[in-house]
Amino acid sequence: MKDSRGYRVFQIVNGVVLLGVVFVTLYPFLNIIAQSFSGETFIRAGQVNLVPLGFNTTTYQLVMGDETFWRSYGNTVLYTVVATAIAMLLTTTYAYVISKKGIRGRGLLIGIAVFTMFFNGGLIPNYVLISSLGLTNSIWAIVLPNAISVFNLLVMKAFFENLPSELEEAAQIDGLSTYGILLRIVLPLSKAVIATMVLFYAVTFWNSWFQAFLYLNQQELFPVTIYLRNLIAGASTASSLGSGGGDLAQVASNVKAVTMVLTVLPILCVYPFIQRYFVSGVMLGSVKG
Amino acid sequence: MSLHEPTTAPDGARATGPEAATSAALAAKARKGDRAPKGRAKLSWRKSIRRDWQLYTLVLLPLAFFVIFRYLPMAGNVIAFRRFQPGGSIFGEEWVGLRYVEMFLNDPTFWNVFGNTLTIGLLSLIFAFPAPIILALLLNEVRTRYFKRFVQTLSYLPHFLSIVIIAGMLLQLLSLEGTVNQIVRAVGAEPVPFMQRPEWFRAVYISSEVWQTVGWGTILYLAALTQIDQSLYEAARIDGANRWKQTLHVTLPGIRPTMITLLILNIGTFMAVGFEKILLIYNPLTYPTADVIATYLYRVGLESNNFSYAAAIGMFEAIIGLTLILSANAISRRVVGTSLW
Amino acid sequence: MSRALLRAGGAGAVLVLGVGLTACGSSAAEEVDITEKTLGAMDSYSVGDQFTATEALSFPVLYSEHPNYPIKDDWLFWQELTERTNVTLEPTIVPMSDYEQKRSLLVGAGDAPVLLPKTYPGQETPFVSSGAVLPVSEYLDLMPNFTDKVERWGLEDNLDTLRQEDGDFYVLPGLHENPWQDYTIAVREDIMAELGLEAPSDWDEFRDVLRAVKAAYPDMYPLSDRFNVPTPGGNFLNIVAMTFGTSAGWGYDDATFDEASGEFEYTGATDEQRDFIEYVASLVDEGLIDPESFTQDDDTAIQKFTTGRSFAISTNAQTVVNDYRPTLDTNVPEAEVGKIPLPAGPAGDVISGATQLENGIMISSAATEREDFVAMMQFIDWLWYSDAGLEFAKWGVEGTTFTKDADGKRVLADDIDFIGLNPGAPKHLQKDFGFSNGVFAYGGPTELLQSTFSDEELEFQEVMADKESLPLAPPYPFSEGEREQATLLETPLKDYTSQMTLQFILGQRDLGEWDAYLAELEGKGASTYIDLVNGAADRFAEANG
Repeated sequence: MKDSRGYRVFQIVNGVVLLGVVFVTLYPFLNIIAQSFSGETFIRAGQVNLVPLGFNTTTYQLVMGDETFWRSYGNTVLYTVVATAIAMLLTTTYAYVISKKGIRGRGLLIGIAVFTMFFNGGLIPNYVLISSLGLTNSIWAIVLPNAISVFNLLVMKAFFENLPSELEEAAQIDGLSTYGILLRIVLPLSKAVIATMVLFYAVTFWNSWFQAFLYLNQQELFPVTIYLRNLIAGASTASSLGSGGGDLAQVASNVKAVTMVLTVLPILCVYPFIQRYFVSGVMLGSVKG
Repeated sequence: MSLHEPTTAPDGARATGPEAATSAALAAKARKGDRAPKGRAKLSWRKSIRRDWQLYTLVLLPLAFFVIFRYLPMAGNVIAFRRFQPGGSIFGEEWVGLRYVEMFLNDPTFWNVFGNTLTIGLLSLIFAFPAPIILALLLNEVRTRYFKRFVQTLSYLPHFLSIVIIAGMLLQLLSLEGTVNQIVRAVGAEPVPFMQRPEWFRAVYISSEVWQTVGWGTILYLAALTQIDQSLYEAARIDGANRWKQTLHVTLPGIRPTMITLLILNIGTFMAVGFEKILLIYNPLTYPTADVIATYLYRVGLESNNFSYAAAIGMFEAIIGLTLILSANAISRRVVGTSLW
Repeated sequence: MSRALLRAGGAGAVLVLGVGLTACGSSAAEEVDITEKTLGAMDSYSVGDQFTATEALSFPVLYSEHPNYPIKDDWLFWQELTERTNVTLEPTIVPMSDYEQKRSLLVGAGDAPVLLPKTYPGQETPFVSSGAVLPVSEYLDLMPNFTDKVERWGLEDNLDTLRQEDGDFYVLPGLHENPWQDYTIAVREDIMAELGLEAPSDWDEFRDVLRAVKAAYPDMYPLSDRFNVPTPGGNFLNIVAMTFGTSAGWGYDDATFDEASGEFEYTGATDEQRDFIEYVASLVDEGLIDPESFTQDDDTAIQKFTTGRSFAISTNAQTVVNDYRPTLDTNVPEAEVGKIPLPAGPAGDVISGATQLENGIMISSAATEREDFVAMMQFIDWLWYSDAGLEFAKWGVEGTTFTKDADGKRVLADDIDFIGLNPGAPKHLQKDFGFSNGVFAYGGPTELLQSTFSDEELEFQEVMADKESLPLAPPYPFSEGEREQATLLETPLKDYTSQMTLQFILGQRDLGEWDAYLAELEGKGASTYIDLVNGAADRFAEANG
């Protein structure tokens, strides 16, 4: 290809700029990883940047040897899987129905969903609801209340709207029921968007802590985010109370770093594999465009 | 709605999160510029139910979800008009009419934080919204596939970082001894205590916002870019257009529907600025520019347990949000012929 | 679409009104007959008695989980507690990081456990008017140890500060025998010695010390401070202001009692406040304080101190040992660090008198419906207020976790560590046994408080013990309507005062503008607020003599 000289220069500049972007985005991660392998004194002295100083893995052994950590970790996995499954079920069915242009009451159904983006009930009413449904201290308090994200719903709806309607019509003539069409025709065509939605939901549920904080009162049920949050935020809360009493929370920086690394790790491991679906998932949505 | 808890707003708000990512699909729909075929006459409810009953059954579970987990707790908003006492009835003790509404309308601090919210929202729209478009365009010019993939994958990472960590890093980078001030010193200027200066707060907030969201935000635009008909570029080249002209006349129009969809979502969520981040990086010195409705509510509401007041303000905020998204959608439909629904 | 949306909203509203939620109304506190609520209670229980329920009881308790010692079911604390008292606690576990939020929520939703510990005085007020929490002052006759300590240690005036409009108080505070002050400034003692400096006895001398350090080490910040979240200058401004007869930092209170006039004044507008600000501003102006002192985070401040880039920093006993010494030893081997006794100020050689009350226990008003209410109060009295209970919660079981030598001095068992008493020991008093747990162990006799102190800390406390404690301000409990008005005035006033205090201190605003600042405070309702305070104080004084 015969590019102009100016364009070749641009290519180089562009490459440098993008490398800069990569460095800037990557820096905090490398910093945390370096901290997680460093000695506490070096971190405190602010000397750890990209290379671990006072290299050691004792903190990893310490955190990984803590059964509380692993139990929380297991809970997180469980909650994420169940919550994502429920979310997918509800989102997919609702999205499929509101993608049908001919159905009566479609506007109303969309309205019911969109309205909730802006209005909600506030802390105490939500708590009273969950509590009177008897869901506190159970997995259901975590996996049910946020089962539908309206944004995700609208995305799926758009995706379904763009599927070729001929296939569905043909299936209908073949005598397939609505359920059959959804299961055998629509879903197989929607793998990409489903994979994307699964990742979006899973990341949200993996990282969420507020639901768990509100509705769980037993340590055996806590997800790892509660553990992490207590490590990170406990210190400042305690010292702000001022009156002392010898109960300050001081957690070593490298323990924090290790916990963060271990918490983010699974997502980082999974997502490069799903990542290719991001683009193709949203892409397919527009294929018919 | 009363309190903006310092957390993940589940489907709350920002069109730059993962949710936004896939709104490319929405855009795709928008691109079709389609309108529902108006041909068929409207069926009566009875007939439609008979015809579509299977579809309606599919909607039952999700509908139950909305009713139970979203609409039932909304009744609690009645405390915006009733005096609520912590520990008393969750619907408040007695009607007080518009007392709490009047209270915040007459509260000078409220109007100050309202102004700050608008300013920060507007600045986010001006800077954080176009940033992913630019990055996507730059990425689009990369020829080496592996390099492109490499940059893409890594630029998504900040999206996974907890806001607590991000705030910590910001404080460190911007301190008098921090990297930024080292650079400032190197060019011979006076170091600036960024985190103490109200005039710097917006710049700090917006630039970190861009940092956090720019990579993740490109997903949609990259998807849209792949959809552009290659023959359009051919035609442009034959007409003698250089790369810049091609970008201007082919690429940008090609991703316009995506841009508009995201713009509408962004406008709708304009008021929902990043509560948790501001809470973590502001301090009394920067209150004049940094204090937003959500942080003010947090201090007035949860710290002093004034839930009724908080509910009244929250309601006000929601109405503005709803109005914004409805108008943005309507304007967009009328002017450019694309809309969210 | 908008029409559909409106319809949706309408449908939602109708549904909600139709179905509704069960409101959990709780009536305001009324006199409860507790004579029948004696299940498990001891017939005679008085000071010195071991409380043991006559039948097995269990009490739900809100538990603040400390990240350093996650709760374990097999803690000796639980076993031994049940053995001694026949009571089992059922903890509702809340991470410490967000404990207050959750407590607000649970009480607000009417779903709180009966016992709500770790409630700091003042945090109970929002729950008073709805009757959600128990007016504990009505039931003190069930608590012999509590009343005994209040009487012997002369804490009636302190308790008065907790009283609400109805004359009752709603939280059982932790009690300290003497006022005490842990927080102060830590300095590099090696530099003090090198420059021949003495520990400063007042703030002017403190300034001289910083000047001397600045002169000898021009590249060093004499003071670079921490404890800025959520209140800037939390500790430093607090301790300086306190000795200037005003308040700031994390001790800030909008109303200051003026002994001379017998009235409250708006703190941010007092002359004392101005003097205090002038003093701190002079430190900043002379370059003696790092301008980031009041906004940087703890880690940054610690970094500066432990790499030898600053000379002094705020501290308490633990942070000297945990945060400063280990790192400093590595980076600056010759460094010595220690606390200086709190310097005196224009208000005298004083410490706050309010430190005799600690965080304490709020009780849900549902407690009076329990059949075992009397036993519960006796249990609380034993565990948190009796000498035996206090020792148990702090030190554990004699012969297992500690022993007493001939002088009655407690010695931790060899294989157990706690705040560096037995470094390297395999077990930990908090992590493995559940003692010295912040939820159960605080307050008590000075002897017990100091029993875990290091020699250096004992020396510090000895000096501090000579200080006078400041008189307490009279109580000014608001009525419900007043409180609603007051909280809305308080937040902006407090924010504005804090912001302007920092601007004056950092030289971002000139002290010549003080009068303009006073006018701005007026604009934010400072007088209205103070009128509310004085009105409430007068009313309380009249009603309660």
